[in-house]
Amino acid sequence: MSAERYNRQIILKGFGEEAQQKLLRAKILVIGIGGLGCPALQYLAAAGIGHIGIVDDDTISLSNLHRQILFTTADIGKLKVEVAAKRLQEMNTQIGIIRHPIRLQKNNILDILSRYDYILDGTDNFESRYLINDACALLNKPLIFAAVSGFEGQLAIFNTPDHLAASTNYRDLFPIPPEKGEVTNCAENGVLGVLPGILGTMAAAETIKLIAGIGKPLTNKILSYNLLTQEQYTINISHGGGYILPKTVDEFLNMDYQDTSEGPQGYIEIDASELVKLQQLESIILIDVREKHEVPILDKQIFTQVPMSEFGAFMNKEFYQKHVVLICQHGIRSVAAAEAMQEKYGDAKKIYSLKGGIVKWRDHFLKP
Amino acid sequence: MKIEMISFGKIAEFISNQKIEVDGIADTDAFKQYLEDRFPALKGIKYKLALNKNIVQQNTEITNQATIAIMPPFSGG
Repeated sequence: MSAERYNRQIILKGFGEEAQQKLLRAKILVIGIGGLGCPALQYLAAAGIGHIGIVDDDTISLSNLHRQILFTTADIGKLKVEVAAKRLQEMNTQIGIIRHPIRLQKNNILDILSRYDYILDGTDNFESRYLINDACALLNKPLIFAAVSGFEGQLAIFNTPDHLAASTNYRDLFPIPPEKGEVTNCAENGVLGVLPGILGTMAAAETIKLIAGIGKPLTNKILSYNLLTQEQYTINISHGGGYILPKTVDEFLNMDYQDTSEGPQGYIEIDASELVKLQQLESIILIDVREKHEVPILDKQIFTQVPMSEFGAFMNKEFYQKHVVLICQHGIRSVAAAEAMQEKYGDAKKIYSLKGGIVKWRDHFLKP
Repeated sequence: MKIEMISFGKIAEFISNQKIEVDGIADTDAFKQYLEDRFPALKGIKYKLALNKNIVQQNTEITNQATIAIMPPFSGG
């Protein structure tokens, strides 16, 4: 270890050589290289965490760049894991970066998590968050949790006992995930880049505190942060009970995490090139399920507008087209719509959802 | 009895931070009922209460000058 690289934190009173050694020996897995993951990774790597695993199966898109500050314009289309690993390794040549270019699912998450000491959840959906929470609880891994919504953020540390109480987990706060559409991820996904920047950096700080054993990490607490007022509000979490948390690997594998990429689902998730092919079909209807105020506005001659708020009424009517493509901003609401359609029509119609939504395939939708 | 309400995220869009003067709300179950009657939008969504900065896990007595936070889950990243 080059002491000079970490000199400014080693000479810090209350940190020192011993804390630095703890960082160097630590193995941390950061899940999701997005608005939260990017800044967290930069500081964890710079601070000298010895082994950093990074998980993401996504590629970089233009709309990522305002908040995912590990990436540049030239990186668009490249795999996030590859670009992030290269950049982090350049930042700090003395640490190990381990790439996991996959989507964590029930059947692979336990294997991956068991190789690390600390898990940082920077994902962007409830399915992943409950999957990660339950896996961490099962494997007894400390979980650093960060999430944002609008101009606010939440930060907590789970599965870590403190001197006052046994460890708590995310289900002690919210025992079951919200229904699809209950929290309208897609429409509300607007975010000022600096907000996950702040929360991701705070998550890195909590991780470093936890590993080094300094200060008072947010163990069994959840901090709410408001960017507009710069106010913070910290709440103590206690054990809640009354929820199902898998206690064995078998129980875990039998849980339903609504992971649409697992098993038969009926409807099909497609990309833009498949959409182009489908558009050649005669009996097809393309449905934009975004609310009417959302942009970009698509050509109404091609895309039928049925906002989710009116989708129930639409489902009561019959239509003749055999192929149905559902589209929304990020491909989350369109999945909920596809599930509802699949349930009603079964094999009578072919149902498709555009994976990643309009944002992911912006060029396709905005081409002249 | 005076209660201070603090809300977060989507809930703050329809319940602003405010101090209320109410009678007959003895515990957190009654407060929940009061909230859902006054703000029906709350019925359809998941949220958690915290009484004086402690998460409410079972029905708990509310005393004068209590602060109650109303918090929804966030998933964005």
